Amino acid sequence: MNPIHTVDYIRILPELVLTAFGIAVMLIDPLLKPGASRKGLGLLSLAGTLAAIAATFCQIAWLARDASFRDPGWFGMVRVDNFAIFFHILIPAISAVCILASLEYLETQGLNSGEYYGLILFGTVGMTLMSSAVELVLIFIALEISSISTYILAGYRRRTASSTESSIKYFLLGSFATAFFLYGVALMFGATGTTTILDIPAALAQQVQSTGHLSVLAFMATALMIVGLGFKVAAAPFHIWTPDVYEGAPAPIVALMSTGPKAAAFAVLLRVLFATTSTDWFWLIWISAALSMTIGNMGALIQGNVKRLLAYSSIAHAGYLLVAFAAGNDIGISAAVFYTAAYACMNVGAFAVISHFGSTGERYVTMDDYAGLGKRSPLLAFTLTIFLLSLIGIPATAGFLAKYYVFTAALSASAAAHTTALIWLTIIGVVNSAVASYYYLRLIVVMYMREPTVAEAPAPASASMRLALVIAAIATIWLGVVPGRVLNHASLAALDLQPKTRAAKVLVPSPSPEATQASAPATPVK
Amino acid sequence: MTDTLHLWVIPLLPLAGAAINGLFGRRFNNAVVSAVALLSTAASFAYALWAITQALHMGLPYNRSVATWITAGSFSAPFGFYLDQLSIVMVLVVTGVGFLIHVYSVGYMAHEGGFYRFFAYLNLFMFFMLTLVLANNYLLMFVGWEGVGLASYLLIGFFFLKDSAADAGKKAFIVNRIGDFAFLIGMFLLIKHFGTLNFDGVFKAVSGMPVEAGWGLLTIIALCLMVGATGKSAQVPLYVWLPDAMEGPTPVSALIHAATMVTAGIYMIARSNAIFSRSPHALEVVAIIGCITAIFAATMGMAQTDIKRVLAYSTVSQLGYMFLACGVAAYSAGIFHLMTHAFFKALLFLGAGSVIHALGGEQDMRRMGGLWKKIPWTHAVMLTATLAIAGIPPFAGFFSKDEILGQVFSSPHGSKVLWVIGVITAGLTSFYMFRLYFMTFHGELRLGKVDIGEEAHATTAPAHAGHGAAAHSHGHGDDPAHGHGGVHESPWVMLGPLVVLAIGSIVAGWVGIPAFMHGSNNFGQFLAPVIKSGAPTSPTAMEHVSEAAGQPREEQPENPGEEWALASTSVVVALIGLLIAWYLYKKRPELPARITARMHGIYLTVLHKYYIDEGYGLLFVKPLLALSTVVFWRGVDQGIIDGLVNGAGSASKGIGGELRRMQSGNIRSYAAWVALGGAAVIAYMIWMGVGK
Amino acid sequence: MNASILSLVTFIPAAGAVLLMLMPRNDRALRWAALIISLVAFGFSIYLPIHIQYHAGFQFQLDTSWIKVGAVDIHYHLGADGISMWLTILTAFLVPLGVLVSWKSIHDRVKEFFVLLLILESAMIGVFLALDMFLFYVFWEATLIPMALIIGMYGHERRVYAAVKFFLYTMVASVFMLAAIIWLWVHARTFDYETLRNWVNLSSMHGTVSAAALQWLFLGFFIAFAVKVPLFPLHTWLPDAHVEAPTAGSVLLAGVLLKMGTYGLLRFNVGMFPVQARHNAAWINTLAIIGIIYGALVALVQPNLKKLIAYSSVSHLGFVVLGIFTFTQAGTDGAVYQMLNHGVSTGALFMLAGMLYERKHTYEFKEYGGLATPMPVYATFFLIAVLSSVGLPLMNGFVGEFLVLSGAFQDKAIYGILGASGVIWGACYLLWMYQKVFYGQITREANRKLPDLDGREQISLWPVAVMAIIMGVVSPYWMKSISPAVAAVHSAQNATTASQVSTASPAMQAGGQK
Repeated sequence: MNPIHTVDYIRILPELVLTAFGIAVMLIDPLLKPGASRKGLGLLSLAGTLAAIAATFCQIAWLARDASFRDPGWFGMVRVDNFAIFFHILIPAISAVCILASLEYLETQGLNSGEYYGLILFGTVGMTLMSSAVELVLIFIALEISSISTYILAGYRRRTASSTESSIKYFLLGSFATAFFLYGVALMFGATGTTTILDIPAALAQQVQSTGHLSVLAFMATALMIVGLGFKVAAAPFHIWTPDVYEGAPAPIVALMSTGPKAAAFAVLLRVLFATTSTDWFWLIWISAALSMTIGNMGALIQGNVKRLLAYSSIAHAGYLLVAFAAGNDIGISAAVFYTAAYACMNVGAFAVISHFGSTGERYVTMDDYAGLGKRSPLLAFTLTIFLLSLIGIPATAGFLAKYYVFTAALSASAAAHTTALIWLTIIGVVNSAVASYYYLRLIVVMYMREPTVAEAPAPASASMRLALVIAAIATIWLGVVPGRVLNHASLAALDLQPKTRAAKVLVPSPSPEATQASAPATPVK
Repeated sequence: MTDTLHLWVIPLLPLAGAAINGLFGRRFNNAVVSAVALLSTAASFAYALWAITQALHMGLPYNRSVATWITAGSFSAPFGFYLDQLSIVMVLVVTGVGFLIHVYSVGYMAHEGGFYRFFAYLNLFMFFMLTLVLANNYLLMFVGWEGVGLASYLLIGFFFLKDSAADAGKKAFIVNRIGDFAFLIGMFLLIKHFGTLNFDGVFKAVSGMPVEAGWGLLTIIALCLMVGATGKSAQVPLYVWLPDAMEGPTPVSALIHAATMVTAGIYMIARSNAIFSRSPHALEVVAIIGCITAIFAATMGMAQTDIKRVLAYSTVSQLGYMFLACGVAAYSAGIFHLMTHAFFKALLFLGAGSVIHALGGEQDMRRMGGLWKKIPWTHAVMLTATLAIAGIPPFAGFFSKDEILGQVFSSPHGSKVLWVIGVITAGLTSFYMFRLYFMTFHGELRLGKVDIGEEAHATTAPAHAGHGAAAHSHGHGDDPAHGHGGVHESPWVMLGPLVVLAIGSIVAGWVGIPAFMHGSNNFGQFLAPVIKSGAPTSPTAMEHVSEAAGQPREEQPENPGEEWALASTSVVVALIGLLIAWYLYKKRPELPARITARMHGIYLTVLHKYYIDEGYGLLFVKPLLALSTVVFWRGVDQGIIDGLVNGAGSASKGIGGELRRMQSGNIRSYAAWVALGGAAVIAYMIWMGVGK
Repeated sequence: MNASILSLVTFIPAAGAVLLMLMPRNDRALRWAALIISLVAFGFSIYLPIHIQYHAGFQFQLDTSWIKVGAVDIHYHLGADGISMWLTILTAFLVPLGVLVSWKSIHDRVKEFFVLLLILESAMIGVFLALDMFLFYVFWEATLIPMALIIGMYGHERRVYAAVKFFLYTMVASVFMLAAIIWLWVHARTFDYETLRNWVNLSSMHGTVSAAALQWLFLGFFIAFAVKVPLFPLHTWLPDAHVEAPTAGSVLLAGVLLKMGTYGLLRFNVGMFPVQARHNAAWINTLAIIGIIYGALVALVQPNLKKLIAYSSVSHLGFVVLGIFTFTQAGTDGAVYQMLNHGVSTGALFMLAGMLYERKHTYEFKEYGGLATPMPVYATFFLIAVLSSVGLPLMNGFVGEFLVLSGAFQDKAIYGILGASGVIWGACYLLWMYQKVFYGQITREANRKLPDLDGREQISLWPVAVMAIIMGVVSPYWMKSISPAVAAVHSAQNATTASQVSTASPAMQAGGQK
């Protein structure tokens, strides 16, 4: 039992901070008299998320100071590298915005409960931990932490049956899926004798050398983990729960769980998949990507309920993300990382608007309710339009650049590997994004081109809500127009993710720098 | 004397007039408007005269480009003007006759609404027509070519309240466009093979080429140009617009549809004689078309009862003569007839206008009669013109027509058959013209007495969409000042031009008295250089073309006897026509009715202009519209294309519906889905694993 | 100035749009502001033809790195040659008129309208000036939303259907271009137009990129542009969009947006893939000619003024495409000129149609007739527009059509002949339209006292009327800057088709001078 160094505490500082704030919230809550507003607690937990971000910056400082900080620590269970740091900033930020949105939401819904915020914080702990954990078991635990809190939060609209139902569904199916993941972990241990992601590649390679082939266990393990994570990211064919759950859950919570856990789960998926590239999952991801995009968009075409519509759209976006996975090269990973951020900005924003516009009991969630919103409250409509355009992928928004980056990754991978599979995936992707534009546009059309059906003008947004919207909107535009910094971080993250043992037995060879050079014949003379 | 002529001034003056009247005319009173219009025309006439004298000193042809108009790659077309004997004749005719008609219009249109509009259009026409005849390249010529089309469109539709007028204008423009289409193709061919559209350039290039035995390049070019000419000069099969064009005010018919615009085609062919002379086939076609048009139109002219329509058909027929002349490479003869025709046909129209004016808008000859003592001046000039067109010596028409027929008979390009037809046409011409004359000026006035049978409508149909009031505003808006009351002579501002033209109709022919009459065909001599320059160099071709230039003395064994014979034949035929007309319409006015009754079928056919318009309608217009509506618009556009697009849309929505059905909401089925998916994934991976 | 002028012209309207957003909802003030802003933009655009050097390829260039991450190096690169310069000016010329015609007709949500209009202007200008493929695509897509909103928010009865149709048609088509652009980047590692062009030519010469791949790329770009043009049979969005759009929308849609398609065909399909362009010319020209005749015939039977003009656009743009794919100097010069002409004349027609709509709120012919009596001035302007559209000599339309057709004829006689038949059809439907509206007795009593054009309307019409005639008379002024640009576009192809490896083809040299 070797002693724990300070540096190890730094390695999990954000999680620690969040936990502390979470406990604090839980402790203070009973002291406040029931029925009183819990705004204070909300602000407290907001502070918590911000503190977490601050903590992350402290991690960055350490990382800058000595490279050894990057090494796995805390009994080799967490690895704080650029990759982890990226999500350590992204995820608390998401939570922060969601909390801002929630402040107003709980008021309008007349929900006065502190644990709501507490749960958000605990969930955030799980998510951040997921992104930095390199030990499969720890990952599983983090996964559960984040999941359980979201299970509960999903059911938070106590008065409405649909909310409870969604919570139940989410819980049952969720645990079903995490079970898959756990089996995966077990089998992986069986196959390689380790549960540390970083050791897996070596182990697999060694196994190949000795026995000449990989044991089927490794494959099954990968498969099971893919299933588990596929559920979390709502990728086809494990997307089935999404529409119901999103429809039932409170809008701010949907904002959170459609972005935060997703981001985290994608992070894990990245770590897992690229640790086990030797097991050829290319076609699996390929099919899943194609399915997700198509099912998501087709399903969204006819939705009348805006929350359901965005649920389907989130399935589709998971699909686009998986295209980057399928590409499986540096650009691919950084594209995926960037995509999670971009998607977070626009989706959180969109759901924030929905939660505000839904007003008491989320009455106004159907297309028709949105009719003439452009007249009734131009500003709200305008912000929502920004998010929708970004979801469509109109240039100068985060959504466009993310998509663009993903397809670039896919095509360069195909160029490097001289395979047309990814070209076709790209074609499917672009066509899908064109089709998708229809249903987002429908919402815009309804807002601006139809006469209002609902008489009452939506209540003016509270300060916190405005702040939330402004942050999301600015972020969306920012990532679309001057994404340089973020993209840089994304590509740094990608580089950190590369286990050096990779490139050994990869069916889709990802162009390492020299490969990319080779893939560009006759580089033009400027 | 300067060495540069500013020929561009000639067309630009009328344009200025048009601009002034067009922009500010509404604020002017009629006096100012007519002053502007007349002055600009007169000025351009005067300047033209001066410029011509200068040019004659400098030596012809005078060719100067002012500026570049269109340029692309190697090709470029200038704003350039070209003055040679041919364009001199045209310019003088256009400005001269044009000016007279302007004067006449001042009186004729005095009581019409849109006075300023009328003169703006008229000046605009002058601008384009002068551009046409002065251009030094085909493209600029085409500017005038299309421009006069526009002016004619506007002026025919001047009484736009009448659908018939609007229709006629549209018809004229579109039919002309069909000709222009061929003209364009001709120009493209010229560009492709000679790289230029400038006359000198093209003709220099052409002069190097031999006479084409077969259907070579030049023939095709020539035919394209010819089709263009048939459109503008109302030849078969594109003549249909001209009769309807009579919906325009009478001065317009005189200026555009008799004296100048319609002759543009003949001018163009004469201008391109270098090309045509090298293509016997093309000439043949031109001659035949001209001949057919001449007799065909003449027959139709015999049955018309609308005074202006008779004149219209006679114009078509006379243009046929000119075509015929060009067709036998007797270009100068053609131009000669063009000039004389300008005088007497303008006179006829203006005279007819004066008659209509006198009768307060009546155009149906069956309602006229006995006018000779009521409007003596008009009667006198009309008689002159009629004699002229009928080809009775010593009136102008005789010489030019005789010249043509002579050439047709003797030129190697000509043929006896064509000559015979030509002579018959001459007879018909004199018949229907004197028919017009007698019906109008002799017998007793039948104004308001005759009720007109259904043929009447037919004659002027489709022109008369709405009859009644509209009918009386033919070329003459409804205007209270001229009720059906007292028949009265026109004012001097109208008669003046008539007299001048009448003199012209007598003497104009004397400039071309042929050799055998101890004249010395000055006209032919004058034009000779233009024709010579274009003449093929091969000896065989040489002689007949120089003959076309009309100096039988030098090249041809002198044979006065034959020429006398030819001349007298046509005169005799003309006289016969005259006598028949006199007998039927003066001596025994009741006869025609009986005759028509006996040969009703033929009569109706002729009366209905052989149902050509109806035929075109059935053959082209209706099917085309049907095709566009049913097949293209409804079928392809809305049916197939949109069908496919919407189909794709609804299909994907269908899929969406299926997916929704998958969303049963039943958690067990969800679990099943997840399990199924999981199973599939695992199975695949195991397969992969075992595969290794 | 030279470096920044293009950015100014491009972004002044957008900046103005922001300004408008901040202004209070005072419609009058907003209108004036929009007008002034667009006029300022136009004023700046005039700087270009004054200072352009005729044979220097792309000029006024500004090229700075925009997004730079690893291999991805996206530039903010603007530049103008004779072609894009004039299209830019056309845009800047039409927008103020668009503002003027919307003066009264837009009374609801005025602010949004002018904001959208100005944003649209920026995007459209950007499309013509962008020399970085990524930037180009950004502007290209950016035009989509404002236009769709303008149609959908301010259009007539079936506006939503039209807006969505317009959006989807163009969106679906342009993603293929996106794919092609990405593919090019992946292989050439650059977005720079000149460099890419160079690269494509070299690699097609050395066979480092398979002909098949190039063909796919060609098609990727082609489909995006063909829909915009719109080329038969991809045109069916146009009539709906036009009929439903508000006047200013139609003016810019016909005047500029369609040109984005033809511009793209010329700049990218012909400029970057000369060999493929040649190989595909036959069927493209066939489609173009079908478009010419088909569009005209369908226009001939339209019962609705705006639909007729819309189909006439299909016919006219057919001429442009035909001209582009004849690869002759005359043909392509004419095509470019025809782009400008169509902007002016069809723009005018739509403005006029809109003015009629303001008075009677219908485009159906059966509601009109005999209008020449109550509205003589209007009738005169309409006549001018019709004549320039019908291609009457000394009007702008003729120059373009003539050059296009003569070029087509030089390429293949049959193209010229079939195309030239368009002059007949043009006369048919346009005169038919004019007669329906203006001639004959007044059919509807209400029309007897229709007011003639007021001062504002006349002011908005004079510029186009005058331009229609000026451009018809002094075309060389335009040609001297257009022809060299066209020659430059062709140069690469001549270099390639002559299969002589010349990186130093005029275009490249020209590109070099900055």
